[in-house]
Amino acid sequence: MPLYDLKNITHRYNGQTVLNIEDWQVDAHSVTGVVGPNGSGKSTLLALMAFVTAPTGGKIRFNGQSVEPFADNVRGKVVLLPQDSLLLKRSVFRNIVYGLQIGGIHGDLSGRVHAAMSMVGLDPAAFAHRPWYALSGGETRRVALAARLVLQPQVLLMDEPTVSVDAASAQMIKEAALHARRQWGTTLVISSHDAEWLADICDTMPHLFRGRILGNGKQTMIFGPWQRISDNMVGKALTADQQFMATRPPQDLGTAVVAIAAEQLALYAGSQQVPAGRHCLKGLLLRLSYEQTADRTSAAVLVGRTVLTAYLDQAHPAQFALMPGQKVRLAYDPDTIQWY
Amino acid sequence: MDYILQGFAQALKLLVHGDPETYSAVAATVKASGFSMAASLFLGVPSGFVLGYLHFPGRRQVRLLVDTLLSLPTVFIGLMVYAFISRQGPLGNLGLLFTLPGIAIGQTILALPVVIALSATAIESTDANLRTTLMSLGVNRRQLLFTSLWEVRHGIIAATLTAYGRVMTEVGISMMVGGNIKWHTRTITTAIALETGKGMFATGIALGLVLLLIAFTITLPASMLRRK
Repeated sequence: MPLYDLKNITHRYNGQTVLNIEDWQVDAHSVTGVVGPNGSGKSTLLALMAFVTAPTGGKIRFNGQSVEPFADNVRGKVVLLPQDSLLLKRSVFRNIVYGLQIGGIHGDLSGRVHAAMSMVGLDPAAFAHRPWYALSGGETRRVALAARLVLQPQVLLMDEPTVSVDAASAQMIKEAALHARRQWGTTLVISSHDAEWLADICDTMPHLFRGRILGNGKQTMIFGPWQRISDNMVGKALTADQQFMATRPPQDLGTAVVAIAAEQLALYAGSQQVPAGRHCLKGLLLRLSYEQTADRTSAAVLVGRTVLTAYLDQAHPAQFALMPGQKVRLAYDPDTIQWY
Repeated sequence: MDYILQGFAQALKLLVHGDPETYSAVAATVKASGFSMAASLFLGVPSGFVLGYLHFPGRRQVRLLVDTLLSLPTVFIGLMVYAFISRQGPLGNLGLLFTLPGIAIGQTILALPVVIALSATAIESTDANLRTTLMSLGVNRRQLLFTSLWEVRHGIIAATLTAYGRVMTEVGISMMVGGNIKWHTRTITTAIALETGKGMFATGIALGLVLLLIAFTITLPASMLRRK
């Protein structure tokens, strides 16, 4: 049984649908990285999963049960670290101990608070009695995370946890989240623009766009304007002499967007031949990234001003010698393109 | 100019020597204003929370009404309360006319819109993430209410002090509903009005200074709480 089961979930703000999820599950003890452009609904999805807000339509099942905000079986167990972390107007210690106090937890509260502070790299002796206003942005985010970790949560949802913080704080936050997973089996759901980090730690990476989950893994979104080439084919100019071609365009081309998964793009280097029927784009290899959890290497390729991501074919010897800065080719089947 | 200086000197004398008439007016003022403030905070802070926090149909209209009531003239409140609690009024049998509880009811009506409007403004000005933060830490509904109020305590203190300022300094309600009865319903402000009418400026100034002293005694702990 999945930990989360979302079926036919919709959410609307001011009459506008911002989230529409037909069927999506999250397994217990997994690490899920939610990726997508700004305004795609990531924060809304996390707020719904944290049971801070009830969806406008549908019910979210947690551990097999339909759960509403304020439900006893999720309070203090499912915690959210919002993007704009807010501290209560009290000292660091009292901010962190707050969740324990309202949860009626007794015992060595000081010990738990100090342990949580240490997890996020804050020295209890130096920080415990500081007021909320005497902290930097990175320290504030770490205190907010410690206030969640002290609860030893079953689920930790983090909305852009490393945005607007210094590199040291970002590293501490990343390590603390993974520590929670190792120590308590905490299920992590993280939305982040740090694709490298997510690719490195996540079991699944659903891509959210316009409130819909497009699929797992790395995707490249290609926005218009589209030019009609034939009845069944349109193109988007990426460079002066190259177009991204796609078949079966929708009626309304004005807002149409293409999503192409990294698995759909094949990378060709050196003398490798591109098979017939494939559309080919020439580009520059920007970087190579190894994804530890999936044991594969992705390549970011710049075509004009668009960065497309593909996976290396590790069986092919020519791809062992790839170096960033090298000219490569990407090929795909225009008939398999997904429109949104 | 001399009589003003005499007023200051007499103020000290009245207080130091424990003038019974002055202390009777002080006691009446503190009792009536204390009761009215307790009632207006008890009713006004939760109402302000609801008005500032929840989005319900007619919220804007209620807000407009409360804001309008901020300008209620004290003599009008005095008149209306008088009409209700006088012998022929609907509450005449309660015997509240020319009593301190009668004054307190009028002062509660005066203070309530101030507490509701300023509490609602304080709640509205909280960070939009406060609810999300508290819920993500596992609050129940009651904890959400009380922690949100604690987070806006500076605004609630400001609302309390503003309302207390209006209550302490009003004359119309105390005069009309209380009747300015010596040893009984004479408050500091009605005593000042009476003494000034009699040409006793020094006594009036003395009573005014006592009023300021009471205000200072109330404001000081509130100000210290604000610093925390």
